[in-house]
Formats: sequence, structure tokens, C-alpha cells
Amino acid sequence: MAAVAIRQIRKSYGTTPVIHGVSVSIEDGEFVTLVGPSGCGKSTLLRMIAGLEDVTGGEIRIGGRIVNTVPPKDRDIAMVFQNYALYPHMSVAENMGFSLKLNGIPKSEIAVRVERAAGILGLSPLLGRLPRQLSGGQRQRVAMGRAIVRDPQVFLFDEPLSNLDAKLRVQMRTEIRQLHQRLGTTTVYVTHDQIEAMTMADRIVVLHDGKVEQVGAPLELYDRPANLFVAGFIGSPAMNFLKGWITVDGGAFFVTESGATLPLHSAPAGSDGRPAVYGIRPEHLSIGDAGGIAAEVSVVEPTGSETQVFAHVGGQEVVAVSRERVGVVPGQSIHLVPDPGAVHLFDAETGGRVN
Amino acid sequence: MTDITDIIRFRSGNAPLALRWPTQRFLVRVGLHVLVAVLALMVLLPFLWLVQMSLRPEDEIFSDAVLFTPTLENYRALWQGNFAGSFLNSLAVSSLSTGLSLLLGVPAAYVLTRWRFKGRARVALWILTTRMAPPIAFTIPFFLAYRVLGLQDTVWGLALIYMTFNLSIVIWFMQTFFAAIPESLEEAAWIDGCGVWRAFWLVTLPLAAPGLAATAVFCFIFSWSDFFYALILTRTNAMTAPVAIVNFLQYEGWEWGKIAASGTLVMLPVLIFTLLVRKYFVHGLTAGGLKE
Repeated sequence: MAAVAIRQIRKSYGTTPVIHGVSVSIEDGEFVTLVGPSGCGKSTLLRMIAGLEDVTGGEIRIGGRIVNTVPPKDRDIAMVFQNYALYPHMSVAENMGFSLKLNGIPKSEIAVRVERAAGILGLSPLLGRLPRQLSGGQRQRVAMGRAIVRDPQVFLFDEPLSNLDAKLRVQMRTEIRQLHQRLGTTTVYVTHDQIEAMTMADRIVVLHDGKVEQVGAPLELYDRPANLFVAGFIGSPAMNFLKGWITVDGGAFFVTESGATLPLHSAPAGSDGRPAVYGIRPEHLSIGDAGGIAAEVSVVEPTGSETQVFAHVGGQEVVAVSRERVGVVPGQSIHLVPDPGAVHLFDAETGGRVN
Repeated sequence: MTDITDIIRFRSGNAPLALRWPTQRFLVRVGLHVLVAVLALMVLLPFLWLVQMSLRPEDEIFSDAVLFTPTLENYRALWQGNFAGSFLNSLAVSSLSTGLSLLLGVPAAYVLTRWRFKGRARVALWILTTRMAPPIAFTIPFFLAYRVLGLQDTVWGLALIYMTFNLSIVIWFMQTFFAAIPESLEEAAWIDGCGVWRAFWLVTLPLAAPGLAATAVFCFIFSWSDFFYALILTRTNAMTAPVAIVNFLQYEGWEWGKIAASGTLVMLPVLIFTLLVRKYFVHGLTAGGLKE
């Protein structure tokens, strides 16, 4: 196990920069997810840690050692690929034992370690099979088995669940988390799925356009997003945003462009009249008959455990989530009442958090 | 209620199916079999004719009689003459040139497929252009160069020439096969502890084996069948089988029995080689074009 320190890492393809000076410190034994939309540079960053991409500038340390020019085989890392990358001409046991064989470990010990890893992952009956004879979930497990059998310093996961169906994804999510709790190996996990990031990570690094937007614990990011991007990216359904300005007049208020006046707990000093974006998560909007924001219901989506109500507010769509069974129908006029304590305010120009 | 006969009737355009469908299918099947048999016969006729000719006694060589007493006299005569040496020369030249072409061409193809460097596409194109000129264009340069280098009438000399032609085939064929292997497999091998060439040897090359087999067959057949360069650049020491066959056409007469027997023998290695790697060959020819 080892800590991973990334300092001012830059990456360019020709003259096109894709990662602009990213710095992240990953503690020994920590589970960190790199999350962001497609093209944000998260996989490139992971591949740089693995040594599969050259580093244009900056420094990567694994266990205190600078590894910028160290080939992948000498970094003592294990990686699980999005497409599993199992060797098609080798059996499950050979796939899992390949790295041990390369390191000159005796056959008897390889067999013991492969058997142990297979036991952890429930792969024991499949050891003689070829990858093409396995289902998607089994292949995924073999890919993980190949990683854990080595007992490396760092695990790298590159969107390992994106090829699985929804049910299996949830199951594997839990299994990976349990595996980390059991082994305690430093893990860097790349995903574009913010639910995966939220449920699995000790800390999340949100990347956007090759820059770090925010680093923090899952609930920290959820409760206090640093900017509009993080606020919109973390959380499903996404946070509602309403444009307007802050007014301080016998109390703090936010006036929306559609004219609704919404109470605030407090307003930042000197923010009277300041253009801002009002952010409120769907579960912090309750449906009422008066007050709040007047809206017209467009779609009602009951999921059983909760109900999502989509409504139009001055030409903009807003979503509210209720744990109760809500008796509203499309076309109905309602009032969405925000919880003033759960309001997020962002600067209209920079997108940075102001409250 | 709709039953299966209704569905079948509907699918066959309301025709009384029980009468029409099996008869039609039977006729189509018989027609196809006859067509295939005729085509196969057309293709195989020269070969079969050659084989039966090689087994006929000398005085019955052009006889119309279908039935005859087969004899191995023509093969015995070949064995007692110089043909065995030429046959071995052919084997040596073809194996050497195939081996050398693969030895140089396969790593070159891998580098051209996987490594990104300046002028990569241009290098690949220049390699291909070596196959664009007709072989006769290189005859005089090769002849003169080989006279100086002392490579005329040597097995190595001929093998090297075939290698120059085969190399571009190997490089272009193998590029397609390597491109079909996901790069992430090599990356996984690097992370598992392989260097670049070890990953190539342990992961990429075994996966490219069908392509390798197909390419080897092409190279072998090209070298084995060449007559032109073997005729120009060999006299006695390195004479190959195709040239030796022509030597049975003499002023004193044409030795049809030996020609037929040697022709049959020349076809044998290619036939055996192709049958051995047939499975890989067919797979190899399609592997690069389809995503599995």
C-alpha cells in the first residue's frame, strides 16, 4: 500500500492541452474516485498514474517515489480496464496468475494465491475456463482477481462497471467496496457515474475540462458544492437552478427572473442587488398551495419509493422530489416551496459559491 | 386459432405448402449440388489429369483409356535423377524466405501499427510500393548485384530475393491483424509486469497466430511457385523444382511422365501446408475485417 501524490500534472496531445495542472493527494489506503463528464481527462489522469500515458509536466509520486518515467511494470500497480482486457488465449487461472509468473514466483505459490483470490471473488469453479466462456459479470470478477492476486501498492479502476447491466453494476459496486474494506489497498477509481462515485469513494475528485473543480468527501460535495458545475453534476435528479438577484430588504431574499421572491437564511455581506444563481436540490422543494414559486406540473414520475414532479417555472423546468405519494397531475398549478436552510447561492458570472 | 400450418402457408404466399415447398427445396438443393460438382470438377480437372498422367506407363501417357495399371515408374525415375535435389532446394528457399520475411516483417508491422512516430504512414506506403513494380523490373539490378556478391546460384541468394517481395506482404497483412487486437490487452500485460517486447511475444503474437499462419502460407506459396527468378539466377546448385520441371522439355523429346510426376510432387507441399493451417487461414483472412 502507498500514498499517491499528483502535483501540477499537465498533459498535452501535440499543441492541445487536455489536463491543466491537476494536483491531488491520495492517502495510503484511501478510495478516491475521479469523476467527471466524458472528455474531462479523468481516464487520461488514471493512465498517467499507470504509466500508460506520458506526463507532459508535473510530478506523480507513488509511495514517495517519483514515477514520471518509470515503466508501468515497475510501478507496482494493478489496473482493471473498462473492457476487462483479459487475455483471450489464457484460462481464468492463467489470466490471474500471469503477473506472478512474470515475476518468477514458483508455480505452487501462484496456485495458492490464485485459489485464494478466486475464493474471495467466487471464481473457484471457473478457473479452467477461457474468458469467452464467461458472462460479463464473471469477466469483471476475473479482471479484479487479476488485480488483487498481486497485492499491489495501488489499484486503478478505469470505469470497470460501465459494460455491465444496471443490476449487476449495483452488485459489483458493493463488492468492490467490500473488497477495498477487506484489503485496504489505495484505490483510484474512474467513473462518469456520479452515483458510483458517491456510493463508493472516501473522497471524490470532480474533474471538468482537465481541471479539478472540487475535492472532498461525497456528502461534502453534495451538501456544499464549490461551484455551479459540481452542484449540477453531483446529485440525481440534478440540482435546480434559478437565475435572479439577491435583495437585502428587511431580511435576505432572492428574486427570480420570473418575479418570485424566495427567503434566504442569510445573504453575503454587500450582496444586495448582486446577480446570482439560486440552487435548490429537488428533495428540498416541497409542493404546496401557496408561497414559494408558482409552477405548472408537466410530468409526474412515481418510482414507488419517491415521486418526481417536473414543473415549468417561467419557461424553465424545475424538478421536485417527494418521499410522499403526491396527488398532482400534469397541467395542475402548484407552488414549490424551498427549504431556506438548503439553498445554494452561486455567483452569476464566475459560478463560484457565495453562501 | 392460428396453428403452425397457417403460419407456414402465410409465409409461403398462401400456396398449398405440403405439395409445393418440399419439392421446390429438393430441386433447388439438387441443382446447387450439381452446380458445385461441375465447378469443382472444372477447377480440379487439370490437377486430376496431371495426377493420373503421372501414374501411367510412358507408352500409355496420352491414351484415352480410362482404366490403366498405375505405376510409380515416373516417380522412381525422378528420384534417381536430380529432381530430389531441386525439390529440396525449393523447400529450403521457400522455408528460408518465409522464415526471414516473418522474422523481419512481423516486428516491423507491429511497430507500424502501434508506435506513433513521424512519417509512419509514409514509411508504410514506401514498403508497399516495393510490390507495385513488376518483378521483371528488378531482374537486371539483382543479376548484376548478385554476380558481384557471389550470390548467384545459391539458396540464400534466391531466398533473399523472395524475402524482399514477401516482406511487404507480411508487413501489410500483419498490420491489419495487429490492429484488430485491442491495445488494452498489451497495456494490461505491461502493468502485469511485461516490457514492450515481452508483451508482444506473450500476448499479441499468440493472438495474431491465425493471421501469422495465413501470411506464412502466402509467403511460402509465392516463393515455392516462382519460376522467373529461379530461372534467371540459378544454374545447377540452387535450381528449384519449377525450373527442374522445365528441364524435362528437351530437344530429344518431352518427358511427359516425369513432367506430370514432378508437377504432382511440386503441388504436394503447398497442399499439405494449406490443409494444415486451413482453419487458421480462413479465420485469418476474415479476422481483420470483422469486429468480434
